[in-house]
Amino acid sequence: MDFQYNNNHNEHGRNDQIVSQFLLKTLHIVLESRVPYIRPNGRRGNLSLGSQVRKSDKWFNLALGERPTALDSLNFWHRNLMEPMIIDIILVQEMPGLGQNGSGYGALVETVIERWVVQYEYSRASQSHQSSESYKKTYKKSIILLRSLYTMMRLLPAYRAYRKLSSKGKACGFDIVYKVSSFSAPVTRSEEQVMKPYSFIPVEAQHGRLSVSVKYRESLSDFNLETSASLPPEIITDYVGSPATDPFRAFPDHKVATSFPVREIPPPQRPHSWSSGGPFMYNQSPPAHHSSSGRYDLSSSPTSYDVYGQRTQNYRPPTHHSFDDSPPFSPSPPTYLSSGGNYMQSRLRSETAPVSIPNPLITTPRYLSPNLSDPNRHSLPPMSPRSTRYEVSSHESPSVIRSLKKSEMSRIGDLSSASGSGSANHYSPSHKISRDNKDDSGRFSGLLSSSGSPRIGFSRSSSRLSLQDELDDIDFSCPFIVDDVDTCDSPVSQSGIGVKQGKKSQDAAVGALVRMLRTAPPLRQDSSCCSDHVESQSNTSGLFMSRKTSDALEELKAYTGIKHLILSKSKDTKQQHLYSL
Amino acid sequence: MNCEVCQLKELDADYFEVREVLRCILHTIFFHRALGLVRPKDIDLELFEITYVQCGDAKLEKKVDEKIDQFIDRVEKHPNKKKQICVSFFEVKNKQATWFTHKVEHLYWEQWYINLNVAQHPKPHSGKSHHSKLVVDPGESASGRRATLESSLHEVLFQIIKFVNEKKDHIPPIPNMEGVSFPYEITISSSSDSAFGMDMFKRMLQTGHPTMLS
Repeated sequence: MDFQYNNNHNEHGRNDQIVSQFLLKTLHIVLESRVPYIRPNGRRGNLSLGSQVRKSDKWFNLALGERPTALDSLNFWHRNLMEPMIIDIILVQEMPGLGQNGSGYGALVETVIERWVVQYEYSRASQSHQSSESYKKTYKKSIILLRSLYTMMRLLPAYRAYRKLSSKGKACGFDIVYKVSSFSAPVTRSEEQVMKPYSFIPVEAQHGRLSVSVKYRESLSDFNLETSASLPPEIITDYVGSPATDPFRAFPDHKVATSFPVREIPPPQRPHSWSSGGPFMYNQSPPAHHSSSGRYDLSSSPTSYDVYGQRTQNYRPPTHHSFDDSPPFSPSPPTYLSSGGNYMQSRLRSETAPVSIPNPLITTPRYLSPNLSDPNRHSLPPMSPRSTRYEVSSHESPSVIRSLKKSEMSRIGDLSSASGSGSANHYSPSHKISRDNKDDSGRFSGLLSSSGSPRIGFSRSSSRLSLQDELDDIDFSCPFIVDDVDTCDSPVSQSGIGVKQGKKSQDAAVGALVRMLRTAPPLRQDSSCCSDHVESQSNTSGLFMSRKTSDALEELKAYTGIKHLILSKSKDTKQQHLYSL
Repeated sequence: MNCEVCQLKELDADYFEVREVLRCILHTIFFHRALGLVRPKDIDLELFEITYVQCGDAKLEKKVDEKIDQFIDRVEKHPNKKKQICVSFFEVKNKQATWFTHKVEHLYWEQWYINLNVAQHPKPHSGKSHHSKLVVDPGESASGRRATLESSLHEVLFQIIKFVNEKKDHIPPIPNMEGVSFPYEITISSSSDSAFGMDMFKRMLQTGHPTMLS
């Protein structure tokens, strides 16, 4: 009697142990193939044969790997085996436009896509003719049941959603969460109709039977999981570089260097996926943009993700507890990289494409200010309106601008003291500036082109703009380098003076011109003044002597006398000839 | 012990689809019958959106691939015929030595028949087109056939799950080992084989009294 009692007691204990472990194993199988975050190490992988299997994992000869910590908190099933274990697999999606309080976020819609019911159906009547090996049979049949459950998990439609979520993470636009309870929350009739049932054959146990059944949605096409998986690149309309933006605002490094890469990625991105995209773009960018490389380093850190997350305020991840525990995920699919790379390539192309920016030295006179008619004036850039300065390039970084400005300043100093005569020399310094600028940044390939409107030309880059500024300054600071011949009738002397003065500094040139103006002969000729002027110059001839009217009359009389004399002499000569004949 | 037989639904596959289809079905069967300790391995099919499970036994994997190669060879040599792969699980019984037989007796307790119609493949010696047993509807596109095959493959897998759940009593005790726990054999036969029916008959005799219970 005691022996049989002990056997029965053992049998009962083992049976309970099998039932409780069965419930745990079922929960493990369901969750690990539906909820990506449930795995302790985030791995959706297969165990290697050589890996050591934990004793607790050997139950039912199905080694699934480390049990999720969430399951440990559910060990209360050990205590009450009679209550059913209901596992709801819930699809969470954000529906735009349903947000409340004008938050800008959509409402989170939760839909039960699978409902698993695992139960130990206790029945007193089933314990008839139980052999001592009943728990062994129960165990063997449970092994087979769990194998078929494991296979079935991969055949149901929700598995595809799980795989998509595992691979793409938040980028797929939905989430899968679970809920375990001992009672089934009521579902609507419409939901009931779309759910298809499936029941595994129950396994006979000592005091009842173990049953596993599921109600699942046959089709998940209503949720548009496929379309939400691939988000198109977002086009940003207020991108830096628009004419509406203020060109004189300081360019923070991150805006200049990373604004365009950020725009190209789909809004919900994981840090890892972002870090794989950032360095790629970094390497692709031309050397001029590497000045703000610090920002690229930040991009690989999780903190930068928050910064970029600000740009995507229209998407808010669901705040379910299982979601909050999500570990970092693997990098995004290559599509992202390729899209970013293509963008980079197109941007490079746009940068290096020849722009019809005219050489300021050869612009047509119509762009000049009206009171400047000297052809030498062509050497300087036209008096372009201020508005062109507002067209700032988005590609330039502040450090590059600064470096260009320095080089330009040194060259502008050379321009004012440049040697050479005439207008040709004025071309060369400016020419030199533009060429050197091209060498510095590699961006002024179009600067030497000979056509196009300067308005367009000078709007292309900020460095070019700075050159424009400097050249405009030259306009105002060195207007006297070229000859202003409007006020003087002696072009030869003036040009000679101009040549000489070209060699002097600006101040000397100004002084010389003032002197010239002071000593210039008036329009109404004054002999004393002119003679003084002539004498002071010391290379004037008698041709420039001023003459009076009286002198002219006297001269006329003298000529008349000479005429009469010649005429009379010619008469005499003729008469003598006649007489001799 | 009775021998449970499961005739799986007939599948129409193209030549290049045979390998994946057979791998999927065979490994699913073995996953439910390798009742020792296993570490399941999920495998994604390339041609179909189906994930099946392997039991992770390298030896079994090798054996399965060999048999599939043999099957494909048979298809090439004898095209346009219905092909069948039979997976048999048996128990080894040492038959009492008699005058005639010293063989070890195989007591089959379960047999799976995988029925395949392989469409004509592009090899030149594959046979004449008018002998083809193509079940393809000429109006059906390749993608449609692929979708049909995927759906049929799904059904076959569900069929396997249903069978293993319904029939559990005939399974012998599980030995304490890893991976494949029961001896098995994989045989290939064609509908035109003269020995096709004889093999079936032989197996039926070897399984012993059909009413024997475990």
